[in-house]
Parts: sequence; C-alpha cells; structure tokens
Amino acid sequence: MSTLVAASAANVLVWIVWVVAGFSCLASGVAVVSFSNPFYSALALIGNLGSLAILYLLLSAEFVAAAQVLVYAGAVMVMFLFVIAYVGPRMEAPWAGGPSWQTLGAVGAAGALLVEIVVVISLKAGDSLGTSAAVGASFGTPAWIGRIFVTDHLASFEITSIVLLVAAVGGVILGSHTRRRASETVAPNVVEQREPVGGAR
Amino acid sequence: MIAASWLCLFAPLAGTILILLGGTRISRVAAGWISTVSVFVAFAGAVGAFVGLHGESNRAGTISTAWTWLQSGSFKVELSVLIDPLSTMMMLIVSGVGALIVLYSIGYMDGDDEERRYFAYMSLFVFSMLMLVEGGNLLLLLVGWGLVGLSSYLLIGFWHERPSAIRAAKKAFVMNAFGDATMALAFFVLIAHSGSLAFSTSFATAGQLSQTTVDLVALGLLGGAAAKSAQIPLQTWLPDAMEGPTPVSALIHAATMVTAGVYLIARTYPIFEQARTIELIAAGTGALTLLVAGLIALVQTDIKRVIAYSTMSQIGYMFLGAGVGGYANGMFHLMTHAFFKALLFMGAGLVIHALADEQDIRKMRGIGALMPFTKWCFLAGALALVGVPPFSGFFSKDPIVASTINLGWYGWVFWACGVVGAFLTGVYTFRLWFLVFPGEPSELVRRHFGRHSTTATDGLDGGPLHADGQGTQRHGEGPWTMLVPVGVLAVLATFGGWIQFPPHWEYVTNWLRPVAPTLAVAVPTSTQESVTSVVVVLAGLAGIALAWAIYGTERVSVPGVPGLRRLLEHKFYFDELYDALFYRPAAAVSSLARRDFEEQVVLPTGPDLGQTALDAGGLVRRLQTGLLRTYVLFLAGGAAVIGLVFLVTR
Amino acid sequence: MLGPGVAWYAALAGFLFGTGALGVLIRRNVLIVLLSLEIMLNGANLALIAFSRHAGNGAGQIFALAVMAVAASEVCVGLGLVVALHRRRLAIDVDRLSELRG
Repeated sequence: MSTLVAASAANVLVWIVWVVAGFSCLASGVAVVSFSNPFYSALALIGNLGSLAILYLLLSAEFVAAAQVLVYAGAVMVMFLFVIAYVGPRMEAPWAGGPSWQTLGAVGAAGALLVEIVVVISLKAGDSLGTSAAVGASFGTPAWIGRIFVTDHLASFEITSIVLLVAAVGGVILGSHTRRRASETVAPNVVEQREPVGGAR
Repeated sequence: MIAASWLCLFAPLAGTILILLGGTRISRVAAGWISTVSVFVAFAGAVGAFVGLHGESNRAGTISTAWTWLQSGSFKVELSVLIDPLSTMMMLIVSGVGALIVLYSIGYMDGDDEERRYFAYMSLFVFSMLMLVEGGNLLLLLVGWGLVGLSSYLLIGFWHERPSAIRAAKKAFVMNAFGDATMALAFFVLIAHSGSLAFSTSFATAGQLSQTTVDLVALGLLGGAAAKSAQIPLQTWLPDAMEGPTPVSALIHAATMVTAGVYLIARTYPIFEQARTIELIAAGTGALTLLVAGLIALVQTDIKRVIAYSTMSQIGYMFLGAGVGGYANGMFHLMTHAFFKALLFMGAGLVIHALADEQDIRKMRGIGALMPFTKWCFLAGALALVGVPPFSGFFSKDPIVASTINLGWYGWVFWACGVVGAFLTGVYTFRLWFLVFPGEPSELVRRHFGRHSTTATDGLDGGPLHADGQGTQRHGEGPWTMLVPVGVLAVLATFGGWIQFPPHWEYVTNWLRPVAPTLAVAVPTSTQESVTSVVVVLAGLAGIALAWAIYGTERVSVPGVPGLRRLLEHKFYFDELYDALFYRPAAAVSSLARRDFEEQVVLPTGPDLGQTALDAGGLVRRLQTGLLRTYVLFLAGGAAVIGLVFLVTR
Repeated sequence: MLGPGVAWYAALAGFLFGTGALGVLIRRNVLIVLLSLEIMLNGANLALIAFSRHAGNGAGQIFALAVMAVAASEVCVGLGLVVALHRRRLAIDVDRLSELRG
C-alpha cells in the first residue's frame, strides 16, 4: 500500500516536473523563432536546452543530459553567442520578406508535419506505446554508455570522432584570414544584391 | 576457321574505333594506315576462314555464336556468324578488294582536311558489309544492310560543303530506305511464320506459306535488292552517288554494296524458288536495266558516270544470272566485276587526280601518252568489262547469257538482251577509252603535265599545279599507294576469271553447290554454251570496232537521232517522272493543308496554344523565387506529402 | 516508467520539430536559421531518447550522442561561414545570399 502511495506520489511529482519542463521547452522554442534580436533567440535556446536536459533525466538518460548541458549549452551556445556578438546587432522583422505565399506555406508545411507526427503516434502506434520496458538502474549511466560505445556501437563512435575532426579543420579554414590578392577588392557595393524575384514588392 | 571469321568481322570495326578515339591526336596518314591495316587483317581472316572451310568435308555451313542477347523459348536473338561457301566467297571479295581500295585512298585523299573521318567511315563500311555477308541470322543481315546504307550516305556526302553531294547522299539514302522497308516487311513475315531468326528454319518453313504470301515475301526481298543494287525502278540514286570521292565509288558503288542485292538473292534462293514468277521478274529487271543503263552510258560526259552506268548494267547481268537460277554464275560475275570495275574506277581516279579534279571526258584527250601505266591498266579493265577472252569478264558474262536459253520464249528475250548489252558495253567502254587515252594530249592535259609529251614516268620539274595551288612535285603518275592496287587489280582482272570455264572446269559452281545450287533449267548444254560465247564475244568486238570507228579514228560520225539523244541524256526521264509522281503531289498537299486548313480553320478558332504555353510558363516561373527559403519550403512540403501518402496507404 | 508515456514525449518532440521547421522556413537572419536548426535537432534527440527508454535499448542514446556531436560540428562550420560572410561585408540575410559568388 505504501509502495502504491509512494509510487503514485512519485508519479505525480514526475508529471508535474514533466509539465513544467515541457512547457518551458515549448515556450523557449517559440521564443527562438519569434524574437527579432538574435541575442535573445540564443538565450531562449539555452533555456530550451536546459529544459530538455530535465526531460532526459526523467527518461533515465543521465549521461546524455549531462552531455547536453556541458556540450550543447556550454560549448555550442557559447560559440553562438560569441559569433552573434561579433556580427553585431541585426534586427529584422521575423515575418517580413519573401513572396506572399512563403509564410503561409511555411506554416502549412510545418503544421502538416506536426499533425502527421501526432496522428502517427496516436492512431497507428497506440498499441505498442502502452507499456514501457523495465530497465535496470544502470540504464543511461556513464559507465553503461561508455561500455556500449566501445562494444556494440564502436563504429558510430569512430565515425563521430572523424566528423568532429573534419568540422574542426573546416572551422579553422573558414575562419582563417585569406591572403588578400592585389586584384581582389572587397567592393562595398556587394551588399546591395539583386532583389529576389518572384514578388517581394 | 571460326576465329578467323570473327577476326574478319571485327578487325575493321576495331579500326574505326581506334580512329575515332584517336581523333586529332593521330595524324591523317596514321588514320589511313590504321584503316588499311584493319581491312588487310580482315582479309587475312577471310583467307583463314576460306582455307578452313576448304578443309571441311561438310560445307553446308557452320554457325558460330558469340553471345545470346534474347532468348524466349525457341526464339533466340544471337550475335553469330555464318561460315559457308557463299559467305566466305563474299568475305574474300569484300575484304580483299576493300583492302586494296583503302590503300589507294591513302594516296587519293592525301591532303584532304577531313581525312581521318573518311577513313573511319571506310572502315565502318567494310565492317558493315562484312556483317551483312557473315551475319548468322536474319536480324544481323538486316543490321548489316542498314549499316551499309548509312556508310554509303556518310561517304557520298563526305564533302559536305557541296550541296550537290548532300542532295545525292539524301537521295541514295531515301531510295535505299524504300527498299529496306519492303525487305524488312518480307523478313517480318518470315520470322512471324517460322518463329525463328535462323536462315535455315525460316526458309524451310516458308514452304508452308500460301503462294501469294511467298510471292509477296519474294517481292519484298526483290525490292530491297533492287534498291540496294540500283536496278530499275530504284536506280536513279547511283549516278548521283558519284559525288563522293572516287575510292568510295569504287568500293561501295561498284565492288561491294551494290552487289549486296545479288548476294541477297543467292542467300534467300529457297524463297525465290518457291516464288518462281518473282524470280523471273528479277531476271527481267536485270535484263531491262542492263539495256537501259548501257544506252544511257553512251552519252555520258563525266568519266565517273560512264563507269557508274556500266556498273548498273553489269549488275543487271548478275540479276539476270541469279534470277534464272544460276546463282553461281551471278556470284562469279560479281567477283570478276569487283575486280575490273574497281580497277576502272581507280584508274579514272588516277586520271582525275592528275588533272586536278577534272571529270569531263571531252577535255581529257590523249592523257594515255603521259600516263602509260594507267592507260594499260585501264585497257585491261575495259577488255575484261567487254568480255574479251582471255580476260575475266569473258568467263563470267557468257555463262549468264547462255543460261537463259532453256527457259522458254522469255529466255530468248533475255538472251537477246544479253547479247545487245554486250554490244553496248563494247561501245560505251571503248568510247570512254578512245576519248580519254590515246591520241595527242589536249590543252587541259598539257597544262597539267608541263611540257613533257611522251614520257611521264620521270619527275616533272614544271610540276603541275593542283587546283588548291599546292604545286606538289609529282613523280610519275601517282604515289605507290595508288599505283600498286591498280596494278594488282589489273592482274586479277586479267587472270581472275580462269578459275571457272564452264563446262570444262567449274570451281566456283562446285564451291557454291552446297548453299546455292544451280537450277537445272539454268544449265545450258555445251553447244549452247559455246555458241553463246562466240556470239557474245563477237558482239563485244563489234562494239569495240564501232567505238574505234567513231571515236578512235573519227571516220564515222555519231548517228544523230535528236529525240533519242535527248532521251538518253535525260536518263529516260526517270528523275522527272519520280519528281512528278512523288514530290509534286506531296508539296501540293502540304501547301493546300497550310493554306486552306491551318490558316482558315485551325488558327482562328482553336485556342492560341502559343499564348497558353507562355502563360503556363509564367505561372511556373513565379515559383522560382531564387530564395533559399522557398526551396526549403518545397522540401518540407514534399516531406509532408510523402508522410501523408504513407499514412493513408499503410 | 513513471510519468507520462512515451507518446507524450514523442508529441513534444514533434512540436519542437515543427517549431524549428517553421523558424527555418520563415526567418531571414542566418543565425536565427541556424538556431532553428538546433531546435529541430533537439526535437529529434528527444524522440530518440524517449524511444530508447521505451524499448530499453541503448542504441537510441548512442545515436542521440552522435547527433549532438554532429550538430556541434555543423554549428562550428556554419558559424565559420557566418564569420567569413561578415568579414567580406556581405549581408547576413538568407534572401540576399542567393548567388554563390565571391
């Protein structure tokens, strides 16, 4: 009986945490795409990543949650903020520009994708989504992740490291100063590029 | 034997591909030698096949299959060659004479800008012709047939900046296409009935077809043969085909391609023997053509056109011989004709080359004094053509005429045609010879040969100027690449006929007996044979005498029958007839359709299709915004649609 | 599993994905587009982790870690591009960058 009560109390707690984290996740996601100042969008994304980390914890993925905070929120977002600061303030109205049907079409496409996902989950996969597997206490722990990284999924481990290497090299090359040739002048008028055709009047 | 046949078939193709791949990286002379060597290799292969077949006891024909493309039950489409007496004989002729002519071309086409293309085409042609004669089933025969038509078109129109050459090439191709169509239809009937592409099966089951069907099939085959061999009524393309370079005329329009029709009749003789009427119509076509062509050749002034009409006439003899049932006679005449006709064309080419592309025989008098080698070789070819013993034409032409005797009343008509044709041959051939070679050199000749009047075999210091102003030093009558083939063919034209002298020894007939046995009705008695020979030879000599009288010594003037002269000069008005029958009605119908139907009816009432297309295009153009975001939207939309489809269907 | 079933997580992941897609399709600032891409990737990650927990299979978490590494690499290169663009005084505007020049 106490286990049932404990179980239900834990359940309620988990539900509350889930609702809060989910709500902040969604809100920060919408904030990212709606703010006109990219700096604020980046900060909203950090919030998004944090709430996702909480959700991962609820899903017994402790290592991934830690990696999310450390790597994603810690390193990647810091890089983003650096570049945003470097590039400077650019404010643009989020819904402006492009042909008239672009915005409408975008909302339609995104909405269609979302509806399809929800429909698939609810209608088609309803049966098999009922009961989850019971997992041991070591599921999702760093030791466990480490072990399967070097045993079952060694290939993905190695390939991921190669991808990271390539990205590092690419980043360095892109960020390096190109040697200015005498004939190559950075014309200030390249900022004025042609208006997109198709009706951005 | 089998390997030799495959080598024979594919060596020229390898030559073509090598030249094509080499492009401008190889020199022009190298392209010429690649082509020549490839055809000589083919000849070696043909000799190997011949020798191999000679050693076999059963010569009915071996089919060697390299690759099966399709197989459906008993219907097989294969890449195979047929090695039998008929095909090896043709292989030897095609590759042997072809090799000599390609060698000759090296000298003749020297200096032309597009020489590499020429040699690629020549090798392609030799490959196509070999495919035609060696093909092991009906499909490959058709493939070879079409490819030789293509090569002929490409080579006639080789000098593509000349409108006349382009027109001649188109004319040749279209007339051949007509024959190709009838022949293909005939083959389709055979294949549909027998369910197989093999020669033996198709011919054997042809016996089960009704007489009308067999007649139609044979008629279709005859149409194809007549088109390819320039017999009446499909003969008008051959004189125009002389627009091509002279070696092309020698190879394609004298020795090999135009004889494909005769080969076809010999190959498909079981069909023809069941449609005896059609076979006799073939003989009649041959007889008619040999007369008409002989008459037209009397008034031609272009040296190549005289020889072209002579070709047409001699192929008429071959059709006559094959049509009455003497396939070996027709094939033997094909062989000797290849020798002496190629020789005549190449000799004419030597003359044309020496006179800087002048082809009008009225201006050429007396060149024999300055080109003795050419003169004697040409004389050998001319005597062989007329059929004077012991030259080769005598051995091959007379049996054809003799074989018509036992047919009945029309046999005698054919016999008379053959004799008159021999007379005409004598006249026009020696008209040509007397106008061009003996006598005092004409103005044009002197201009091209400097001051030398009697000997020309030493280097000419004055150096004739070519029409292109190059002014090369000419040593003798031409480079060795041109003189050697002419000499070889002169020897062959002289002695090549000695392998068959019916009824005493008949090597060719015996060789071909397993695959093309002569019909009994076409075998004359030895008295008929001898009498005919004497008559034909006398007719030929009479023709020579007449030509000598008119043109040699000019004792007699040309008999003037004005209407006749005009008729002959217009080639019996065949071109005008076809123009009125086919071209004018088509042009009238199309202009009628445009004026009365399209402009009155379609344009005002129907939708303006042009504007509609423009509007639709304008609508689509608005999708091309040039923005990355739009294209990503299309991606996302597409993904949504695919997801929807999967949702609905699964 | 305590709390909501995997369907809820999957629906949340779908929402994130859709929001990110909307941002990619609508926004013009290159940096915001990159941020929206990150949101899409995170949505996918969430789905992966959720189903990994549901099936008890560790492959999902491994895949999610790999996705994270790839996202980091992609951001690195993308930001390098933005820096290079800025250095050449080009506009950081997806609509303006429609020609591959310079």
